Amino acid sequence: METGLFIQVLLSGLSVGAIYAIVALGFGVIFNATGAINFVQGEYVMVGGLSAAMLYEAWNVPIFFAILVAIAVTTLLGFLTEAGLLGFGRLRTPAAITIATIAIAVIVKGAAMLISARDTYALPSLLGPEALRILGASTSRQTVLNLVLSVLVVVALTVFFRRTKLGTTLRAAAGDSETLQTFGVSYRTTARWAFVIAAALGAVAGAGLAPLTVMSFDSGTLLGLKGFAAAMLGGLGNPQGALAGGLLLGVAEAVVSGYGTSAYADVVAFVVLLAILTFRPTGMFGTARAVRT
Amino acid sequence: MRKKILALLAGSALLASSACGLGSSGAGDGDDSITIGTLFTVSGAGAKLGDKMRKGAELAVEKVNSEGGINGKQIKWVFYDPAGDTSTAVQQTNRMLDSDGVELVVGGGGSSGIALAMDPITSGKGIAFIATEGARQIVEPAGEHRLTFKTTFNDTTMVEKLIEYWKANDVTKVAFMPDTSSFGQSAQEELERLAPEAGIEVFTAAFDPAANDLTPQVKRLASNDPQAYLAWTTQPSGVTFLNNVRSVLANKDVMVMHGFGFVDDRYMQQAGKAAEGTILVSPKLPVWDKIDDSDQQKATMEEFATSYAEKYGGEQPNVYAGQAYDAMMVAAEALRATGGDTDGEKVAQAIEGLGSHVGVTGVFKYTSDDHSGLTSDDVAVIKWDGSRFVPAE
Repeated sequence: METGLFIQVLLSGLSVGAIYAIVALGFGVIFNATGAINFVQGEYVMVGGLSAAMLYEAWNVPIFFAILVAIAVTTLLGFLTEAGLLGFGRLRTPAAITIATIAIAVIVKGAAMLISARDTYALPSLLGPEALRILGASTSRQTVLNLVLSVLVVVALTVFFRRTKLGTTLRAAAGDSETLQTFGVSYRTTARWAFVIAAALGAVAGAGLAPLTVMSFDSGTLLGLKGFAAAMLGGLGNPQGALAGGLLLGVAEAVVSGYGTSAYADVVAFVVLLAILTFRPTGMFGTARAVRT
Repeated sequence: MRKKILALLAGSALLASSACGLGSSGAGDGDDSITIGTLFTVSGAGAKLGDKMRKGAELAVEKVNSEGGINGKQIKWVFYDPAGDTSTAVQQTNRMLDSDGVELVVGGGGSSGIALAMDPITSGKGIAFIATEGARQIVEPAGEHRLTFKTTFNDTTMVEKLIEYWKANDVTKVAFMPDTSSFGQSAQEELERLAPEAGIEVFTAAFDPAANDLTPQVKRLASNDPQAYLAWTTQPSGVTFLNNVRSVLANKDVMVMHGFGFVDDRYMQQAGKAAEGTILVSPKLPVWDKIDDSDQQKATMEEFATSYAEKYGGEQPNVYAGQAYDAMMVAAEALRATGGDTDGEKVAQAIEGLGSHVGVTGVFKYTSDDHSGLTSDDVAVIKWDGSRFVPAE
């Protein structure tokens, strides 16, 4: 029984941790391109998960199509976020953008509340409802999908940032956006791409989370904060770090739930965040560069 | 970086405090109206339940006013939305009483934590308060809550019914999962107090209402081999509980249960197959059409369910709407008894003197010692059969 509990805790942690990791990746992409923290990230997860579940549950859209539409809608929202902040708002400094994202997050949440009429929506597991049994423990099959997805996203992002022209440009923008502009690359362009990618990542996380729980308009805020904690833990802007940070945070929460007083599981993220900010602001795998803004 | 985080926190605090609720302004209790103030959370966490409560209360106000009001006086209804935040609720309560001219308060924000915070304010100003929230501490001990009543079941009553049901079904070991809200914690206190006396062993693991996975807790409790798993929450994570229990316990034949905070069709539908056979303790409302005609609540429940569906485009009421409707109706009946006098002491005496008030939630019999008014006779044990709630045998 004891090993059963241990495996269960591990599975639970990885299941939720994979989602935190994808959210953390979204924070990293925008941080790398603009130096800002995007607090709409959690709301992208909510919009992705909620719209997929609403399409599926209320309008009987086939599940794969519902998820694709949800990702498209969320990506559009990312595009609009950038247009609002940098286009309409003409914001350029990371601090200004960061603070303005909080306002956008509130607006998105409010709009989602009205559109969903405060109702909750659920999505079935993509791999079927049966549980997966491993060494006396069990988890939703969706967990496997989420883990695979989080690793794939990390690999894809790493390749994108290291090997493609756009990716290199985005990284360069983080390093020195003024110099980059003298080379004819507009700050807007890099920022727009970053927001679009981050929003799409959020939607993927939301679609992965919805089958594990139930989505409502207020599902995003806490997830955003936990994803942020995971990103800080792994080192902001470092894709592998985000994955490690997300999984670690998920497992830490599960350990507290399984062995300790589960009432405090949600506090874990914030204790981790506080500890990281105090003792190692660059994160476990971060370099000094990661926080030079 | 750290400075930036601080700036962010300050920014978000500002935003949060500026996002206060809607409400009407201007004091005004002319002689031709009685001002009743209500707080329900219709945005933010818990908005789903608060919305039902608001609709239930609204229906009651309209009914009373359209039937000639209270001794000729119309109810003037002041409504605020604390968005699930206790400190906002405290400010709004003060504003209602100090500047909106509210003479009686019905509804405590839709969460026990908020209702508990409102009680000292209303009592301090000599205003009667009829809460629609669950925690027993809102009105107990009655001697210290002279002016505060509620239209919900005490956890004690629900727990008594549960123990009765477990005994009848030879259940001796129970896994209990309350959430960490005051609703869950208050039930935990009662269950851990009453169950051992009845020879029932309880193993408890609490969970955060925002949790996305409860399998570690379920697995831990499973090592004690309980015959029943009971969750106590009003939040969507109760759906996760159903999924996780069925998944961790494979096809094991155990009793899966929820408290009266989770009696909601949508939640059950969202848990899909995992919800089938779930047993809940609940007011009779969800099964009103399935109970015996001799039940004295039947006519009241039918009228409520019909007029609610009519007013809100076919939407079915749930127990939360019923509690809010009852609270407003108890207030109206008590005010009729005082002749429209809203003095807190007089209203309290009138409520205690109502005898029995047949409501949607139950038959309320308030006394000076009991400000909840309901007994375990008003509780039904119901079951989700995959498409609707039915009485459990």
